Amino acid sequence: MKQYIVLFITFAALIAALLNGCTDSAPTAPVIGLGNSTVTKYVSIGNSLTAGYQSAGLYKSAQLYSYPNLIAQQLTKAGATIGTFEQPYWPDPGIPDQSTGKASRYVIYGWSGGTPLIGPIGETVIAGAPENAATVLRPYDNLGIPGIPLAGFMDTTGTYQSSPLGSRGILRWDNPGSPFPKSVFFQAAALHPDLVTFWLGANDVLGFAVSGGYSPNAPTNPAIFSALYTQALDALRNTLPNAKIVVGNIPNVTSVPFFTTVNPLLAPHIPGPYYLRYQRHGTLGMAFDSTKLTETNAPLVTLKGQAYAALLGMPTGQFWRDAAALQGKTIAELYPALAGAGIDTTKPFGFHPQNPWPDALILDADEIASATTAVNNFNSTIASVAAAKGAAVVNFNSFFNNVKVNGIVIAGEKYTADYISGDIFSLDGVHPSDRGYGIVANEYIKVINASFGMNVPLVNISALPKLSAPLAKGGNGKIDPVLPFGAFNSLDLLFSPSVR
Amino acid sequence: MRLYSQHLLGIIVLSVLVVCIALGGGFQLNEVGARAMAQGGAFAARADDPSAIYFNPAGLSFQGSSIYLGTTFIMPKVTFYGPSNLSLNDETKMVDQTFTPINIYGTYELNDNIHIGLGVTNPYGLGTEWPANWIGQSIAQKIDLTTYFITPTIAYKVNDQLSIGAGLNYVTGKVTMKIGLANFPFDAPLPIVNLDLSATGIGFNAGLIYKFIPDLSLGISYRSSVKLDASGSAKFDPNYTVLALPNGDATATITLPATGFIGVAYKAMKNLEVEADYQYVGWSSYKELAIGFKADPTKNEVLPKNYQDTYILRFGAEYTMDNIQLRAGYLYDHSPVLTEYVEPMLPDANRNGYNIGIGYKICENWRVDAACFFLKFDQRKAENTVPTIAFDGTYNMTATLIGINIGYTF
Repeated sequence: MKQYIVLFITFAALIAALLNGCTDSAPTAPVIGLGNSTVTKYVSIGNSLTAGYQSAGLYKSAQLYSYPNLIAQQLTKAGATIGTFEQPYWPDPGIPDQSTGKASRYVIYGWSGGTPLIGPIGETVIAGAPENAATVLRPYDNLGIPGIPLAGFMDTTGTYQSSPLGSRGILRWDNPGSPFPKSVFFQAAALHPDLVTFWLGANDVLGFAVSGGYSPNAPTNPAIFSALYTQALDALRNTLPNAKIVVGNIPNVTSVPFFTTVNPLLAPHIPGPYYLRYQRHGTLGMAFDSTKLTETNAPLVTLKGQAYAALLGMPTGQFWRDAAALQGKTIAELYPALAGAGIDTTKPFGFHPQNPWPDALILDADEIASATTAVNNFNSTIASVAAAKGAAVVNFNSFFNNVKVNGIVIAGEKYTADYISGDIFSLDGVHPSDRGYGIVANEYIKVINASFGMNVPLVNISALPKLSAPLAKGGNGKIDPVLPFGAFNSLDLLFSPSVR
Repeated sequence: MRLYSQHLLGIIVLSVLVVCIALGGGFQLNEVGARAMAQGGAFAARADDPSAIYFNPAGLSFQGSSIYLGTTFIMPKVTFYGPSNLSLNDETKMVDQTFTPINIYGTYELNDNIHIGLGVTNPYGLGTEWPANWIGQSIAQKIDLTTYFITPTIAYKVNDQLSIGAGLNYVTGKVTMKIGLANFPFDAPLPIVNLDLSATGIGFNAGLIYKFIPDLSLGISYRSSVKLDASGSAKFDPNYTVLALPNGDATATITLPATGFIGVAYKAMKNLEVEADYQYVGWSSYKELAIGFKADPTKNEVLPKNYQDTYILRFGAEYTMDNIQLRAGYLYDHSPVLTEYVEPMLPDANRNGYNIGIGYKICENWRVDAACFFLKFDQRKAENTVPTIAFDGTYNMTATLIGINIGYTF
């Protein structure tokens, strides 16, 4: 009897031993590498999206998460010998707002009545120029210049780069004895890159859209766009015959929270008999167009409009005072013009034809159609020119359309195109957040891998920072943001270079 | 009189043991008796010990009055490598836990034709826990599901060849769960919701055993699905008041699948019984785990599972020598989880189980059974996981199970 128990225990021990031996070995790690290619220099060309602009500001702690910098880090992991990817860093809190001289970036600084308080908080600007302007003795690898339209790529006059960015800050044309060639294109070429990402064109329609179709009052002409795009890729291809070139196309402007956030928040505040009376594109004074903001193809109130949401129905000329201030005028100087156009700010704001919702805070159906047509035209140009010049295309248009409809789940976490809660876009509702830029970087990397036979690892999105917010303070978490009057006017300047 | 005091002593000893055994649950657990477990769970055609209440209630007809109770120590080990859709192959080990589902049975022979019994088992349960702050914390942090099936059973012996039986399952279930809030945009510790839910449900089971000849029997049994509408509380930690997280009343619905056995047992030699069973498991009832928050239904979560109906093949043998019985078994358990739905809350794969066990009759009334069961999961690659999971990687899994039962026959 005892021997059977001994036998059983022996068997049990044997099985236990077997068990440990039976464990599967770890799976082989995914292949990482550059395939048959080498990458010794990566240069990114673009606008604010490429610079790492976030929350209406450009500042180092955001620039570190620019998509080019993230791509550069992943390239290095895959064996690229690109050294330090140099970007023009503006130390936090970053670049100044042109009108206040204080840092332009927006932050969530508190909560009021359950909604986040968002705005610039008067941070003192530390540096007017990039901290590494004197130490990086060559063009920056990240040639993302906030504000430039496509025409800015070949420009040698500085027309398209607003201070302190562009020609002075990033391209450094006016440094004493500057050896840097005078255009984005020449600087990129001087770096002899074997990998180039090129994402320009958004500003040829975004300025029009962000300003409510106001400034400028039309997207770039598609024929001009086509000529400029062909010129740009021709120049790159002819100068860098062997370089791998990846271009990004242009998302629909209406896929970003700047245009999708406010309608659902404002609609409940338009009581039964009332309509939002708004200025259609080009209207200067009285306006008779009306909307409930809920109908199909309703005009889109921009995020800037959220600042004036609380004034709906009140006798106020707040918007016009702010608009006057932006032009360096007083309301008294501007008032005769307003009165002449039939505006009477003693009437209920937004509800009365004589005190209508201003054109600058709303994208009407014609403007949406105009922006959409422009984007479609630009994207077909991008597709055909890229194909002709041997450049790969990242289809951000379809990517962000899908994000708008379905969101995206990464490692169990859900990301959407919703303002703040979606965590793809930063507080300005146009530029991505740290994680949003990581998602953009991964779309580039997927195309790089598929087009050039590389195995560059994707960015671990889960390891990137989320939005910073003082969660310890009170509120009820509804994303119905409180924005200051004149909010995001700096974006107008950003997207509206003086000449097109 | 002496006989009665001996019975009383037996009952007291068993009651103390019941209290001492740690209660818990570790999702389907067919390990509800060490004798059946040692034979790969191939038992529905014989069902000649009190675990018949679980495997096939008709089996009560061919046994006397007894008490049988025990527990199974379940020690799973899981390692995740990934997530590969983020180009990672990082190793994360699931927190080691031991689960101890119990089984308690009492059977009573009313007369030659009618036997009754009562069973308490934990046939569905699971528990997984991943390290705090691991990369999958929004999908799975910790879950414990425990179900108690209280099963009054009756069997009717039609004749010496045929017996039929049926039982009622009164089910109580408890789910505790920790999961990260899936949509949290802020740079601060992820709010983890702690759910504490319970439910009751009703189901039934039924079975028959037919003996073609005394040495060859056929067993068929079925247990219905049980829907558990669980309710309880949700508590978020950390609880950011600014976010108005839906603390308070919460609900979840889980449907425990129906299952059925069909088995054939044959007495191959004087001392050797062998059995082969096919078990069907109606896992397609487990489409999703829907969690509802009364305070803010917009924050409700639906975790897709999309399990498929599946089967388990079971083979077992028992060799008797005097008062010792030696047992061995094998089972193949086909995973109900589709590749694109494999996720860390309950990673699963096809399994091969290898079992051995021993039974010892201590004296006329007492017996003890032990079983050792090694469960080897095929390496599971989660690939192209659905967009709601989007968590690819590789799972290596094993489990060791030790079962012990004591029986007392009146």
